[in-house]
Order: sequence, then C-alpha cells, then structure tokens
Amino acid sequence: MLLKIVGSLIVFVSSTLLGYYHAQTYAQRPQELKTLQMLLQIFENEISFLSNVLQDAFQKVSSCTDSSVAVFFEAAVENLKEGMCADEAWTKAVKENISATSLNSEDEAIIISFGKMLGSSDLEGQIKNIRLTVNQLRIQEQKAEELRSKNEKMYKNLGVLFGLAIIILLF
Amino acid sequence: MITNDKQTYKIEEINEFERDILRFVSPDLRSAIKRMSVKDLVSTEEIRFRVNKPVMIQNHRGSFFLETSGELKAKPENPVFASQEQIIKTLELISENSIYAFQDEIRNGYITLRGGHRVGITGKAVLDGTGIKNLKDISGLNIRVSREIRGCSDQILKFIVQGENDIYNTLIISPPKCGKTTILRDIARSVSDGVPQIGLKGLKVGIVDERSEIAACFKGSPQKQVGVRTDVLDACPKQIGMSMLLRSMSPDVIITDEIGSSGDKEALMQVINAGVKIVTTAHGYSISQLKLRKEVLSMLEEKVFDRLVVLSCKNGPGTLEEVIDGSSMKFLYRREKLCC
Repeated sequence: MLLKIVGSLIVFVSSTLLGYYHAQTYAQRPQELKTLQMLLQIFENEISFLSNVLQDAFQKVSSCTDSSVAVFFEAAVENLKEGMCADEAWTKAVKENISATSLNSEDEAIIISFGKMLGSSDLEGQIKNIRLTVNQLRIQEQKAEELRSKNEKMYKNLGVLFGLAIIILLF
Repeated sequence: MITNDKQTYKIEEINEFERDILRFVSPDLRSAIKRMSVKDLVSTEEIRFRVNKPVMIQNHRGSFFLETSGELKAKPENPVFASQEQIIKTLELISENSIYAFQDEIRNGYITLRGGHRVGITGKAVLDGTGIKNLKDISGLNIRVSREIRGCSDQILKFIVQGENDIYNTLIISPPKCGKTTILRDIARSVSDGVPQIGLKGLKVGIVDERSEIAACFKGSPQKQVGVRTDVLDACPKQIGMSMLLRSMSPDVIITDEIGSSGDKEALMQVINAGVKIVTTAHGYSISQLKLRKEVLSMLEEKVFDRLVVLSCKNGPGTLEEVIDGSSMKFLYRREKLCC
C-alpha cells in the first residue's frame, strides 16, 4: 500500500511539473520578446547617440541583461572578432542560440532579417531597420501574450489533472 | 648591443604596423605586403590601392610598385594587383562593419585609423542635394602612415619660446608630406611637458584634433605622446572646438591643424584676444605663396602670428627652411644662407 502511495505521488508530482514546464515556455516567450525589444532600443542609443562601432555596441547591449536573448549579441561579438561580416555574424549567432530560448521560427525569421542591413548603411537606415524589427517583435509579443493567457493556465491544470487521472486508473 | 637595440625597436615597430594598419587590409593584400623586407616595411609612408592597378608603396626615396616577391621596383615586372573586392573588403575592415559610425568621415573622403594613420577614399559620390551623402563603388584607398618622431621639433622650439612660461603665436607653413603634423605633435608634447634645456616650463595645452591625426585618439585616449598637461578635443571642428576649449579648459596654448578656411580667422582672433597662445599649420611652399590665400593673407597682414616657420622636404621631411618674425617680417633663421 505504502509503495502504491509513494508511486502515485511520484506520478502526480512529475506530471504536474511537466504541465508547469510546458506552461513556462508560453510565459517565457512574451518576456523574451519584450527583452529583445528593449535591447534593440539600447542598441539604437548606442549607435545614434554614442556612435559606437558594431562590436562595442553589441558588447554593451549584451552586458545590460542576463536574459537568454542577450546571448545573441554576445555570440555576434565573438563572431565579429573572428572577422565575419556583420550579417554572417548575426545570423550565425541567432541560429546557434535560438534553441536555448522559447522563441519560435517566426520570431527567428524576424530576428535574422534584422541582420541583413546591419552596419552597412547610414545611421538613418540603421534606425529604420531597428524600428521595423522592434515593431514586428511587438506584434509577435502581442500574439505570444494571447497564446500565453490561453495556454498557460490550461497546461498547468492539465498537468495536475493528468496526474490525478493516472492515479485513479492505477488504484 | 646597439644593433640588438635597433632590432628590438624594429620588431616593436613592425608589431605596431601590423596591429594598426595591416589588420585592416584584406587578407590577400595583407600577405603580399608582409612579404616586403623589414627595412622597406618600417620606412613605408604610403600604401596605395587602386582598382585593377598595381599596389604602390611610397617611402622617402619615391614611389614603387610592390612585386609579388615582396620587392619594391621602380618599374613593374610582376606587381601585385588590387581588385575591387579586396578594396571593399579593406574598407569593411577599416569601418569595423559599422559604416554608420564613419558616415561623416567617409563624406569628407577619409577615415582615421587607430594610431592616427589616415586612409583616403575615392569612389563615386552619392549626392544629397548639394552635399555628398556617401561614396560608393570605392575605387581607391591611400593609407598614409603617421609616424611619431620625438624631438623633431627641438630646432624649432627655441625660436618660438619666449620666457619660461610663454610661447609665441606660431604658424607652421609646409607643403604636404613634409612632417607638418608630426612636428606639431612634437611641439605639443614639448610645450606641455616643458623643456628644461631651453628653460621652458610645462604649459597647459589644448589640442583641437579635427581629423584625429595629432593625438590619434582611440576611444577617447590619445595614442600618441602629446604631453602630460594636454587636453584633447577629438574629432571636433576647429572653430567650435577652439572656443569650447577656451571656455572650458583654460589652456595656455591651443594647438590645431591646417587653418585657412573661412571663419578660421574669427575663431583664432577670439583665442588670441583671450590671451591664449596659438600654434597652427597651413599648407604652402613659401610665405609669398601663402599670401595668395585670402583668409591667411588677412591674418598675416594683421600680424596675428609672431613667428612664421617654413618647412620643406629638401633634406628629408621636416627640414627647417626659414623662421620669420611675424611683426617685422625679418628672418630669424635661413637654411640656405647658413649652408652657402
């Protein structure tokens, strides 16, 4: 009997955690999109007001936060140091690190397209590019927020209920 | 021992050359330049890349073609050619992938590298109304190596010092490539640090470094020796910079490069009326030729400068040709007379 109770407890806890974990990714994505927008704003300031070169600007941006999306900037700095051009460095940094975040492929496409014009035009062009990306990310954030409000609670409850269902079946 | 010292000095110089200049050259061209002998490498004054033309190296002996073997030849046999891709790649490396940060510099036709080396750019201009917006289809680059020669202004200093706490308002006149900026930098260093041998105490010096050539600031800190009492206003237009320094840093001496455009005179007068001394330079071969330029002529007529120093390249860059008292227009020194 004791063994059964312990076993069902384990089942219950793990299924609840699984539910919470899944809900977490929905909660993280809007947060990450928000942080990314903020970082791009900082980047805009770095290049427009301080007129820093790309590598320095990215370095500063990445040290602003320890959010998982700051890794893009950090990796891009490393790639730039190796002598890649701006577009290559950014694309590689995003592709290699996106799996560690909760962002989806739609977000990835937007973030990568930001790199296409990076560094290769005058300030006005750069700022337009940043604003465009920020706007697109904002729309993604709204969508992600909707998904979160719909799914976060559902997955949490689902985890708990699924655990309970297995236990009932087992008894 | 002495040869040993010379050797280490050269290695240092080569490392510096590599760090400050070669790092920004596209890999193929970089390896071609690296094949040059050490002696040629350290004496290089200019490196020129032109689209589909041989790479040229200028030093004090003249201009030469760079051979694939690394030799310098007056007539091309098997020279290294620069392609447009290589030139564009070089410009990309120079601007560190950040064209937006060098926009104003590209508009003026040059970028200054860390270390004060100036890279001139030619290409097709993109116009924006009346001004130039950008240069595209880059067709030529000219890397001018800037050298620091400590003590090169010693000969001139004794003519421009008056008393232990003062110097004369000085205009240095020189053709291009005769060491104007190098000498100006050394004057800044000497005046700022003080020269006990001629009884000059250190003065507060303000440098307006419009083209980042004198102090060669990198991220705000001077890469060249410009003295301990020196404040540098980097990349600031001369006229604005002079009055900014005047108000903010209370300098004894203001140093700036290449005057002669309209409006410079008012800015200079403002400095002089405030009792601050000025040391500056102008392009020219002689004083009579300089008088053809309206802006400079009116300054000479009003006797703004106490000392006029003329340089030439006759005995190598930085040859002191003559020193003239600006108010009486009498010669204080003449090279020709002394030697003949």
